[in-house]
Amino acid sequence: MKQPSSSRAGPAGARRRNGRGESVGFNANPLLTVALPSWRSKLMLFLLFCAFVALAGRAFYLMGGVSTDFLQRQGEARYARTLEIPATRGRITDRNGVVLASSVPAKAIWAIPDDVEASNEQVAQLARLLGMNAGEVKRRLANDDRSFVYLRRQVDADVAARIADLKIPGVHSSREFKRHYPEGPTSAHIIGFTNVEDRGQEGVELAHEKQLAGRSGSRRVIKDRLGRIVEDDWLREPFDGRDLALSIDNRVQYIAHSALKAAIEKFRAKAGAAVVIDARSGELLALANLPTYDPNARGKLAGDAIRNRVLTDTFEPGSTMKPFSIVAALEAGKVRPDTKIQTAPGKLTIGDRTIGDAHPHGLLTVEEVVSKSSNVGTAKIALDLPAQTLWDTYTAAGFGQAPQLGFPGAVAGRLRPAKSWRPIEQATISYGHGVSVSLMQIARAYTAFARDGDMPPLTLLRQDAPPAGVRVMSHETAMAMRRMLEMAVGPEGTAPGARIPGYRVAGKTGTARKLRNGQYVREYVASFVGFAPVSDPRIVVAVMVDEPTGQYYGGLIAAPVFAQITAATLRTLQVAPDGPMEETKSPLLAMREAR
Amino acid sequence: MIRRGLVLLLALALFLSALALVTAQHRSRSLFIDVERAHQQARQLDIDYDRLKIELARLSQPAYVEAEARRLGMKPVDGGRTVFLNLPAASAAAPLAPGATK
Repeated sequence: MKQPSSSRAGPAGARRRNGRGESVGFNANPLLTVALPSWRSKLMLFLLFCAFVALAGRAFYLMGGVSTDFLQRQGEARYARTLEIPATRGRITDRNGVVLASSVPAKAIWAIPDDVEASNEQVAQLARLLGMNAGEVKRRLANDDRSFVYLRRQVDADVAARIADLKIPGVHSSREFKRHYPEGPTSAHIIGFTNVEDRGQEGVELAHEKQLAGRSGSRRVIKDRLGRIVEDDWLREPFDGRDLALSIDNRVQYIAHSALKAAIEKFRAKAGAAVVIDARSGELLALANLPTYDPNARGKLAGDAIRNRVLTDTFEPGSTMKPFSIVAALEAGKVRPDTKIQTAPGKLTIGDRTIGDAHPHGLLTVEEVVSKSSNVGTAKIALDLPAQTLWDTYTAAGFGQAPQLGFPGAVAGRLRPAKSWRPIEQATISYGHGVSVSLMQIARAYTAFARDGDMPPLTLLRQDAPPAGVRVMSHETAMAMRRMLEMAVGPEGTAPGARIPGYRVAGKTGTARKLRNGQYVREYVASFVGFAPVSDPRIVVAVMVDEPTGQYYGGLIAAPVFAQITAATLRTLQVAPDGPMEETKSPLLAMREAR
Repeated sequence: MIRRGLVLLLALALFLSALALVTAQHRSRSLFIDVERAHQQARQLDIDYDRLKIELARLSQPAYVEAEARRLGMKPVDGGRTVFLNLPAASAAAPLAPGATK
């Protein structure tokens, strides 16, 4: 700030000496002396002071506690990250722990078309890895309107790693899950499937979505300069979905599926369904539906194949309903198993309508009415009862109510209130026409005969303890009906085709014409419901074949399917035989006996 | 004099403590990296386990087993070719049905 001064005099002295006319130094030229007002430097000083105060104030504002988050946030953004931790969907297993559905991480491959720079060679490699057509990949990458295209979702992790190795700019991947169904079409209808977001859409996947899904978590982490996580803080812990053990036995499921499939091919039927229930616990061992689909290849899903016919389709049960009408009469004390019923001449006229038997039978006992499946006999017995009594018996057996299975889409069937029945309807309902049921309902109803007259709740989940049943008929009635149903598969009955070597079986055939727009048409539903072994029933099996061609009697079509399923299932469950072996003895057995 | 010595000693202690803090922080972070790596490995093993389970289920599918067995010329078991052994009557909890001896 000091003015440079001459060596001879200081600036103050120079100025004073000017007036005396002495020679002055260059620097002391009075013209150069400007009289600055002293306030200017003070103002300058004050402004500088204000600037420093402002800086200090700002620093205090940011760091001293008034608004500290901003800088902290900015700082953290440079080393901290919030990671989304996805939850793995629970596994679905069968009763023996065999995996039926399981999720593994996969990658979604996507691209930003504008950024993609790939040679033809690279595109061809990419297409090959994705299992797509090279032209299709090119077309998608050439799509300039969009800034984001999925090339393919749910790519296996090792394939995704090889795609990453191609290092094509603009092609990226993100994490997701892929659900695998090792059993494929065999058990597709029970398990259902998920969508690409891993959410349940059908079957058990949908019914138990909450339990299976789990909840994703998030985690705040600090990364070092190499990207390694050095500190973390859980904002929300993820919960993996819980595993679900079904009551299904995958071996029995396969048995039911393949037996049904063979029958449907043989009779060129439109569809079919089969269900196997463990009579002791009410657990579903198998539930097969055809046509079916492959849940692993969801591109080809068709509505008709997805439908779970066992639960969602109703049909007129036909003769499989008769035992319940007889049960009502036995319970009411109106008849006994050996009461004689006149069914000649095989026709019965009620009002202006006539019902008839397929073959005229003459005088039959109640037992024979069931085993020979006489419509006239059943109708005569049923007409002797108040309509309400019949209705009560049917309702107790679960007709007209949706089975409580915890499964989406289970239907109730149709059973009109007893007050609205006309006599002809009472007669036809007694042999299974004018009512509709699902295969599951009819199978469940037969558990009462397979047990002691009580019905357990059905379940799709593995049970640890057998549940308590609800009694729907007396022990004596159940035993009498068991005997009658065993006669029905005897040589004199309607379904000798249901018999199997080594085990005593019991069951009832059903053949019903289908209703279309309120008219009966020449299309049939052949069914068979039964249980085995009769001495101590273990399983209840129900089979339904929809629109078989050529034959249509339940005894010819559904009964052999029942026999195949039952024989193989009892063997698989290692149930001791209680009947005669009709087939040739094994060489080993012959050897043992010879000794 | 004693006061100055004390201040110096405390300053030294503070300095050492600061160094120790830095070291401890560094060690905790490198240990955390190891833990994280182990977690990562555990996750990967879980995934592999799931994958193998699926593979096992696929190969043990009854349909697959049956096809392979038929290829080897094997036949399904039936009642006629099965030997049934009876438990001694005393130890048999459940009564066996007639015909079971066959």
